[in-house]
Amino acid sequence: MFNAKTLRKTVLEMAYAGSTVHIGCAFSIIELLAVLYRKHLRYPGNDPLAANRDYLVLSKGHGVMAQYACLRELGWLKDDAFSGYFSDGSELKGLSDSLVNGLEVTSGSLGHGFSVGVGLAMGAKLRGTDQKTYALVGDGEINEGPIWEGALFAAHHDLENFMVIVDENGFQAMGSTDEVLKLGSVQSKFESFGFVAMTIDGHDETAIDDAITNLTESKSKSPKALIAKTIKGKGVPFMEHDNIWHYTRLNAETYAMALRAITEGIK
Amino acid sequence: MRDAFSEALVRLAKADPNILLLTGDHGYALFDDFRSECPKQYINAGIAEQNMVGMAAGLARAGFRPFVYGLSAFIPIRVVEQIKLDVAHDKLPVIFIGDGAGFVYSHLGTSHQSTEDIACTRAIPNLSVYSPGDRFEVTVCMEMAYQSKSSVYLRMGKSDRGDVHASKPQVNYGDLFQVKSGSMAENLAFIATGSMLCTAMEIATEAYPDATVWSVPFIKPINAEQVTDICRHARAIVTIEEHSVLGGLGSTIAELSSEFAPVRIFRVGVRDRFSRYCGSYEYLLKEHGLDVEAIKQQIHGFLIGN
Repeated sequence: MFNAKTLRKTVLEMAYAGSTVHIGCAFSIIELLAVLYRKHLRYPGNDPLAANRDYLVLSKGHGVMAQYACLRELGWLKDDAFSGYFSDGSELKGLSDSLVNGLEVTSGSLGHGFSVGVGLAMGAKLRGTDQKTYALVGDGEINEGPIWEGALFAAHHDLENFMVIVDENGFQAMGSTDEVLKLGSVQSKFESFGFVAMTIDGHDETAIDDAITNLTESKSKSPKALIAKTIKGKGVPFMEHDNIWHYTRLNAETYAMALRAITEGIK
Repeated sequence: MRDAFSEALVRLAKADPNILLLTGDHGYALFDDFRSECPKQYINAGIAEQNMVGMAAGLARAGFRPFVYGLSAFIPIRVVEQIKLDVAHDKLPVIFIGDGAGFVYSHLGTSHQSTEDIACTRAIPNLSVYSPGDRFEVTVCMEMAYQSKSSVYLRMGKSDRGDVHASKPQVNYGDLFQVKSGSMAENLAFIATGSMLCTAMEIATEAYPDATVWSVPFIKPINAEQVTDICRHARAIVTIEEHSVLGGLGSTIAELSSEFAPVRIFRVGVRDRFSRYCGSYEYLLKEHGLDVEAIKQQIHGFLIGN
């Protein structure tokens, strides 16, 4: 389950069916979500609303197609939701919406999910449960102030059960993160806020798995930060590193090219 | 009023360990009792309101009952989007307490004054808006907010203006309280909320002894049938609030009246402007034409033109 190629194919098909944007933003987090769902997230009884589940908060709500693809594999979303994506009266929106079981927050306006995740982690800590909270944020998203408000809080309250995962694909809506608002070292920033942080290749599933395992098994009481170096548009050569795929819709030709690239694993 | 707030909060929190109080580094002496009685339920989230509201949403999702406290200039105004998206969208049981509403911080200027909070919150789906007028209404509102198990904004204004009720009134959710009866012949009705309830009582008692006075502790949801009934039987209505005339109590009454029972309505409130000067609370009320004499004159002019 959660084969990266299959997940990307699902994203591509729904993006084409719905004539939607944000394809590159979904492709950069495929492996991160695949490893989380396959190895780490616990949903007792395969129930997206299980009271003692782990929480995955997609704070970068514009990557939601990647999460929809995972929810399909879990059987929580049916095939017709994908073929009818963006049709009138359909359930799945272009940004994460908590009305869909399996999506914890309504995001898209950035810098919200991180704080909700901190609250979920604080709640689990107050209750004394072993639930984990993972908040997946974009590197552009961490321009938002509440991220750093929440980082202070998480460290101050020793929320060891909280992990932020930064999808560092190097781009935001209007350009590269270096051009728009320089981030410098994301790892050092979170470390200076009191997090235990690591940086890895966000498309190497073994590295992702090892890092999440190391961080969650760490004896440190501090919150954790996993910085994932990723490629916006990963998996389709003509989309990779090309920020136009934040906004561009597929046509018959680009859809066929992209599908071939994913299916045949063209580099 | 603030004692009634603190007493209700402590009482509710002692009975329900899921209640958490989150404050954005405000309310120093106000929470002395809470901190000594329920220390494990107290979280100072720091001067970080946006994160505090997002966290409250997370805590509510995890089964807690957060009360989020701040000055109304910050809670809700600074965090309207967090309230909308993180909390109200899912009807999460978070109760927002906006203290010092209106011109309470008269000397501090616009940053700490709040006369747009009702308008901003009233349009958010799933969010109720309360505005108690004395300490007894504070107790009622706190209990209603806790029982409602939905998202609530509770606005607390100037707290030392005295009581209108003699004891905790019995009320149905959304109802207006009649705090002064009048004569059917006069048919002038005052409808007031929060700190302006005392003002309405004073003006009606002195100048319009036959007028009725209604208190509105629940601005949303409001008992629309009751409002319609009041409008239907009134020759004219005066609404009074320490809030903008745009989008607050006056707007609420005018919206219902225009649809179901048209009547002339005079909305007393802040006339779409910021405070220009520094001064005492009473001075600021004068600056905005919200002192008793100024309101009397405005009403007189309105009624002459009636």
